[in-house]
Amino acid sequence: MSSTSVYPTPINAFKQSKRSVLSVIVDNEPGILARIVGLFSGRGYNIEALNVTVVDVKKNLSRITIETLGEEKVISQIIAQLEKLVPVHSATNLANLSESYEAEICLVKIEFENEEQDQKILNFADIYRSRTVQKRQNIVVYEISGTSERINKFLDDLDTIGGIKVELVRSGPIGLGI
Amino acid sequence: MNNDNEFTGADILLKALKDQEVDTIFGYPGGAVLPIYDAIFGQNFLKHVLVRQEAGAVHAAEGYARSSGKVGVLLVTSGPGVTNVVTGLTDALMDSIPIVCISGQVPSHLIGTDAFQECDTTGITRPCTKHNYLVKDVSKLSETIHEAFKIASSGRPGPVLIDIPKDVQFAKSKYISKKDISFREHRIKAGSKNVDKTFVEELVNHIKKSERPIFYVGGGCLNSGHQASQELIKLVKKTNIPITTTLHGLGCFPGEDKSSLGMLGMHGNYEANLAMNKCDLMINVGARFDDRVTGRLDAFSPDSIKFHIDIDQSSINKNVKVNFHTNTDITLTLKEINSFIDSNNIDFGDKNYSNWWGQINEWRKKECLHYEQEDEVIKPQHAISRLYELTKQKDTFVTTEVGQHQMWAAQYYKFSKPNRWITSGGLGTMGFGMPAAVGAQMANPDSLVIDIAGEASFLMNIQEIATAVQYKLPIKIFILNNEYMGMVRQWQELLHGSRYSESYVDALPDFKKLAESFNAVGVRAKNISELDDTINEMISIDRPVIADIWVDKKENCFPMIPSGAAHHEMLLSKYDKENPENQEKGKVLV
Repeated sequence: MSSTSVYPTPINAFKQSKRSVLSVIVDNEPGILARIVGLFSGRGYNIEALNVTVVDVKKNLSRITIETLGEEKVISQIIAQLEKLVPVHSATNLANLSESYEAEICLVKIEFENEEQDQKILNFADIYRSRTVQKRQNIVVYEISGTSERINKFLDDLDTIGGIKVELVRSGPIGLGI
Repeated sequence: MNNDNEFTGADILLKALKDQEVDTIFGYPGGAVLPIYDAIFGQNFLKHVLVRQEAGAVHAAEGYARSSGKVGVLLVTSGPGVTNVVTGLTDALMDSIPIVCISGQVPSHLIGTDAFQECDTTGITRPCTKHNYLVKDVSKLSETIHEAFKIASSGRPGPVLIDIPKDVQFAKSKYISKKDISFREHRIKAGSKNVDKTFVEELVNHIKKSERPIFYVGGGCLNSGHQASQELIKLVKKTNIPITTTLHGLGCFPGEDKSSLGMLGMHGNYEANLAMNKCDLMINVGARFDDRVTGRLDAFSPDSIKFHIDIDQSSINKNVKVNFHTNTDITLTLKEINSFIDSNNIDFGDKNYSNWWGQINEWRKKECLHYEQEDEVIKPQHAISRLYELTKQKDTFVTTEVGQHQMWAAQYYKFSKPNRWITSGGLGTMGFGMPAAVGAQMANPDSLVIDIAGEASFLMNIQEIATAVQYKLPIKIFILNNEYMGMVRQWQELLHGSRYSESYVDALPDFKKLAESFNAVGVRAKNISELDDTINEMISIDRPVIADIWVDKKENCFPMIPSGAAHHEMLLSKYDKENPENQEKGKVLV
């Protein structure tokens, strides 16, 4: 027996998958993150990245930013489902706004062995204007921010240097309509 | 500190229920709700119905809500008490039934310690409720309860759960009444109050232009209230457009009216599905393009312009892309359509869609619901037809279990008013009907309430017959007894080479003796000559009755759209030559 489903939507959904960044304003209350994550897993949607923080202490609001994949029809359905959740004020696909700004932050710890590697690392760090957080004899920690794409490129470039050890953490994209 | 204005959490709950005009609650006590039960003991506005298992409480609350239009309320204890209602909550979510479930929880300081009868109630019920709460602070209790009722009954209705730890039931606070609460708009999701005038105008223009229009009406029309049904009837009469309803839409439009094509979908009428397939204008009123209605999606009504009225935004374009939609309440929208037609003196009188009706009448000639009552053995279809004929003079409420009997009931029992038909559609919960009948009878003490059942489903919540006996609820359980899980057997016959794996129900009880042992009444019809008398006897007894109707064991439910087929590729009977091949891929569908 194949694993074909009676509901064709989720399978077709990834045919023309497009990356979308959704910005969701919610009441900051217990269980809200579980509601959102449960909605995605329960309905077979993808979460590529997720960011949650309180943004208005007085009104007790959090902003949740979700990077997801899906064709347009699926993204609209995700937004409609999100807006049905009681604590959700609004859900917006940043791509649908006339203007929006996106950024991500990344911390990279690099262990290197020799002068040549150090020079190459310094060079890339300079090109990408990353900030030195800490530098020891053979370890350097950078903070780089910008679009996810820019960070990807920086990491790809670092990858071309042989023999170094890289450990990193990324915030996932956050975004704002302007 | 002793303050006269302060009440315990348990008392606040009861005050809030009174404020919400709740007069009936279905429940089962246990350790974590004892303070609430103590408060119930000392009052007299609220009638508590003691069920025999919590699943019974939630289905009874659903039956109560569906048959009365009010919010159904239930009370269960922590742990197993609340895990037993998970099926019912899911059922209510799928079928948009407003219920509020109060559950007890272990005391706050024990939460997270794997205490006795502890479970993560809000975690377990999060995906099967419209919303849920864990109330940790008694001062938030009043507000939470009022918001829960508002959410359960607003927009697209659904189940809401409130989990109250035992210490919060003892703790004291002020009570805030319903009128002193201001709800936050974004949390209520009530849908738009403004009718979309462009939508209305577009719709009327399309009706004028169309040659083959159809109304496709679902449970949303029911949830919008009786007035929605009145407006719908007016609009159908004015336009002479044929109308088909979903399983849950039955009763929104009189089933015996000549404009009605009956139910559509997997076991819907031939003329209804064909008309949906060939129409050029589809007006969806509160239905959700369920897979049981659409059949194979790529072949669903290919040539129609689609209008969709649904208060739930996520129902729009979910399964089927529509051309026009509105998220405003159905009553408001239909009212506006009617008054737009009236005020602009639009007359559909000369239009009449006579070619379209001619075509539909051709399809009707197939007589897709025809059956032969050949010999002594009662045909299940005949049993329902006779039940309808012998009860149609009364204001009868019909609940069902799930399976063949449910589809036969939908096909052969005709409903003329909303809220008289109570069935588990979306989730398809066997064991739903009898507790739902208990709820419907509580809400309508003077009406005839019948649970049309199959013997297998009935056994799933058989314990509730004791509830019916205790509260003197004269519900009638009309069992179409074929000794099989009939729908399972039908699919095995059609798709699995008649290998009847585990669908025969061996060792059935003697339902007549069973009824007697519960102090209910048992009656039985073994053959056609006993059928009418048995039905009449059943109706005449003012006590709970189990009627054991022995029907043809091998009868199947037709018409049928096989899984994987398009909605116009229907099986008409087991002998029909035009059957589409049962495709291999149909087996993996449900």
